[in-house]
Amino acid sequence: MKVKVKDLKTKDKHIKNLAAIVGGARSILYQETDLLAYDCDGFTIHKHLPKAVVFPKNTQEVAEIVKYCSKNELPFLARGAGTGLSGGAIPLNGEIIISMVKMKKLLSVDLENRRAVVEPGFVNLKLTNSISDKGYYYAPDPSSQSCCTIGGNVAENAGGAHCLKYGVTTNHILGLEVVMPNGEIIEIGQDGIPDAPGYDLLGLITGSEGTLGIVTKITVRILKNPEGKQTVLAYFDSVEDGSQAVSDIISAGIVPAALEMMDKIAIEGVESAAFPVGHPKDIEAVLLIEVDGIAAGINEQIEQILEVCRSRNVREVRAAKNEAERARWWANRKTGFGAMGAISPDYLVQDGVIPRSKLPEVLRKINQISVESGLRIANIFHAGDGNLHPLVLFDSRVSGESEKALEAGSLCLKACADVGGTITGEHGVGIEKREEMRFVFTEEEIAAQTEIREVFNPDNLLNAGKLFPSPSRCVEIKQEMKTQAIS
Amino acid sequence: MITAESMNELKEFIREDLVMAGENEAHPFGNSGHAVVYPESEEDISAILKYANTKGLTITVMGGGTKRGYGGLTETTDILLSLERHRGIVEHTPGDMTLTVKAGTPFKELQDYLAKHKQKISLDPFWPEQATIGGIIAANESGPKRLGYGSARDAVIGLRTVYPDGKVIRSGGKVVKNVAGYDMNKLFIGSMGTLGVVSEVTVKLRPLPKCESLVLVSFPEGHQDKIQPFAVKVLDSMIEPVSLELLNPTLADRLTGQKNYTLVLSFEDVESSVQYQENFIKNILPEGTELKIVSKEEADVFWKKFYHHIPNGAAEITSETEASLKVGSVNLKVLQILKNSELLQDQFNVSVEAHGGLGHGLSQIHIRGAGKDVAAAVTEAREIAEKEGGYAVLKHLPFKLRKEVDVWGKSPSYFFLLQGIKATVDPKKTLNPNRFVGGI
Ligand SMILES: Cc1cc2nc3c(=O)[nH]c(=O)nc-3n(C[C@H](O)[C@H](O)[C@H](O)COP(=O)(O)OP(=O)(O)OC[C@H]3O[C@@H](n4cnc5c(N)ncnc54)[C@H](O)[C@@H]3O)c2cc1C
Repeated sequence: MKVKVKDLKTKDKHIKNLAAIVGGARSILYQETDLLAYDCDGFTIHKHLPKAVVFPKNTQEVAEIVKYCSKNELPFLARGAGTGLSGGAIPLNGEIIISMVKMKKLLSVDLENRRAVVEPGFVNLKLTNSISDKGYYYAPDPSSQSCCTIGGNVAENAGGAHCLKYGVTTNHILGLEVVMPNGEIIEIGQDGIPDAPGYDLLGLITGSEGTLGIVTKITVRILKNPEGKQTVLAYFDSVEDGSQAVSDIISAGIVPAALEMMDKIAIEGVESAAFPVGHPKDIEAVLLIEVDGIAAGINEQIEQILEVCRSRNVREVRAAKNEAERARWWANRKTGFGAMGAISPDYLVQDGVIPRSKLPEVLRKINQISVESGLRIANIFHAGDGNLHPLVLFDSRVSGESEKALEAGSLCLKACADVGGTITGEHGVGIEKREEMRFVFTEEEIAAQTEIREVFNPDNLLNAGKLFPSPSRCVEIKQEMKTQAIS
Repeated sequence: MITAESMNELKEFIREDLVMAGENEAHPFGNSGHAVVYPESEEDISAILKYANTKGLTITVMGGGTKRGYGGLTETTDILLSLERHRGIVEHTPGDMTLTVKAGTPFKELQDYLAKHKQKISLDPFWPEQATIGGIIAANESGPKRLGYGSARDAVIGLRTVYPDGKVIRSGGKVVKNVAGYDMNKLFIGSMGTLGVVSEVTVKLRPLPKCESLVLVSFPEGHQDKIQPFAVKVLDSMIEPVSLELLNPTLADRLTGQKNYTLVLSFEDVESSVQYQENFIKNILPEGTELKIVSKEEADVFWKKFYHHIPNGAAEITSETEASLKVGSVNLKVLQILKNSELLQDQFNVSVEAHGGLGHGLSQIHIRGAGKDVAAAVTEAREIAEKEGGYAVLKHLPFKLRKEVDVWGKSPSYFFLLQGIKATVDPKKTLNPNRFVGGI
């Protein structure tokens, strides 16, 4: 195999050495034309070329790459499918990208103990597809699930429409194998056994956006399919009524599997795109409400939901006639982000979270931001858990409009933070929201987090420059003092 | 070591009547303090920690004291920081289904209050009248209903934690979904108070179920081989029990009056769904086993007894020695672990009450008897757990025995990370020294 290293059209010794680790020229990209595809992820506003992209096939190779990078002080990062929306996989510092796409095996399934072990490059939806014939599924369902990787999901602590009832990725991770930034391999949550004695590193690493280690194996919890499912669609002439219906459903003690909302501009988008379902163009809000569980209990809850919607001046409300209709409604919703492409050359997705009761207030504020910026903002959101996705529509060819879109996005996050919410519910901070971290955390609180990073990633060669705002002087000085005190 | 002078210094910033001298006699569960301080606010906590940290004093943190026998190799630290007066609800937003509460609030008080709003915290800890929300979270305590609702890491959405140097660090927030920065909540949950003092907790709530039911299936002698296939059938079916907890015969005897392995299934949903699930169980009941659908009143009695059957670090000291183990294993191995631990009774002349969740993989084994016998039985119980590929932690043991038997078992291979975290957050080992894994 190693002979192939000779085929490399480069004199760079690092490229050659890395190629040797992964078994030859075919497992590494290093020419600019090839690297262009890796200069950004789903966050396309920031771009930077990596030094190289390597494709390891197993944990051992990942560990050797990492050791090599660490020894030679080459910055590096992991990349899954590159669907991240906050720029987590962008090689800001000309990193060596360690692509996990060749590590895509489903290693084992243990239905009796409700767990499965996957490699990080395994695509989210494939897991459910592999076990659905036995009546099981993997719960976290990001809209990108047909292409994003479970490794990427762990890094971002991805959520999805059905996380209202079943929780986000972190609630479904039982074990991880991780290559530490110095190349050491550790295993946390062996065999998926819960509550391993010690600090909860599973919980800490999940959602750490690939800055604490590279995940090379994942044990996840799998669930039994619910016996029954029913979905309701409701059209409202005012966003207030729609939001109020959301609150009423929750207050009635119903725990819907999903509770989604789209506003007028979002509806215009999805109806112009690949999966239109005939939503009326003149309504202000559509709700998609799903209840699942024991079939015998579902009708009662659906009746209650219909009742609530009617009491909130719904224009039209009905339950899906059959599975085909239900699937159409969901396809329409789940392709919502991409659908904005049909009505705008570019769009920026934001990801704020608010206490549910502040929905009308924050939507009014977002509308005001739209008016003031002159940019249209569509809203698609997980209303049940208050996770908003304002989609700022813009045209990057118009000079200054990208900046304006970023600014409007940031203001939307400020609006969320101001009512006691947060700046990201599932897409992560990445590059995009680094500065916005200050909306929710003090310098001290940010320092408390970067100090934890230093325990795992002391040289900060792994995915540097993500997640945290550039430290202000005062924090740097404090850290300096601390290092002196310890040494 | 704390001196009369430090006591006086403490009183300069903490109201005098909140600072007391510790007990004269050593407490059988250790984790005491030469001085006892009862902060009433986060500012108090912060001031005390800052003072102790600067002076090089050590602090034991205590909520309701139910877990006083859980870890700790220091009999008496300088200061016992009791959170029992730092209590009360800070904010409840029923529409958002979130609750913020001071850490020293007893769990039962919260559940009773929430019940008036038809809501609850989806945790089911032991000794709920005494156990505080902060202690439950710090010790990561969970009960049988973890199967349906998860554990503290699934319920907690925000914390305010006082670091040893006195600064207050917020993690998470008040919203149910949040990935801003690292998920620092997870660091403190289950950290046994070794990193910071949690002062305020925000949890997400669930609606009270409209209907609840308790179904007991008991497996008499000669029918025990049917437990596993039955449990597998239940788990592989469409029904959604919130608990599938197996009781060993001794515990079943105490709780139900029948000395058989007994499965505790609970269902919580709308009535039609609950009834459907009860019927489902009736229809798949293995021959020779007995089913009992427990009435509401009897179920209340059952659960009350259940949540009070384990050793309690805050209870009167008895002449008998008591120990408790938390055992983690692959879900279905719970059965083997319970069966093997049953043998300890004759082998060591102790009583063993045990239960474990066949859907979540955690068992608890409670051993009572003479001191020496208990120590030997506990060591053997750990071997049982490890033989099945699991771990055992001693969640209750008198101080004397804690020095003989390792509370946490083997340290994990990534112990250096745990040490690194401790050294970063609490470099002077001010808080709960030696209370945690590997002497952290
Ligand atoms: C149309 C669309 C819809 C989306 N909908 C949702 C949604 O509903 N919910 C949601 O939560 N997200 C959503 N996303 C965002 C994105 O799909 C998720 O964040 C996903 O988890 C990223 O996975 P990935 O494999 O693409 O990771 P990447 O984008 O390749 O990487 C993301 C981050 O993870 C790190 N990483 C990747 N693999 C590893 C590993 N093995 N070890 C350590 N770090 C690693 C990277 O360094 C990077 O920081 C959507 C994205 C798009 C484009």
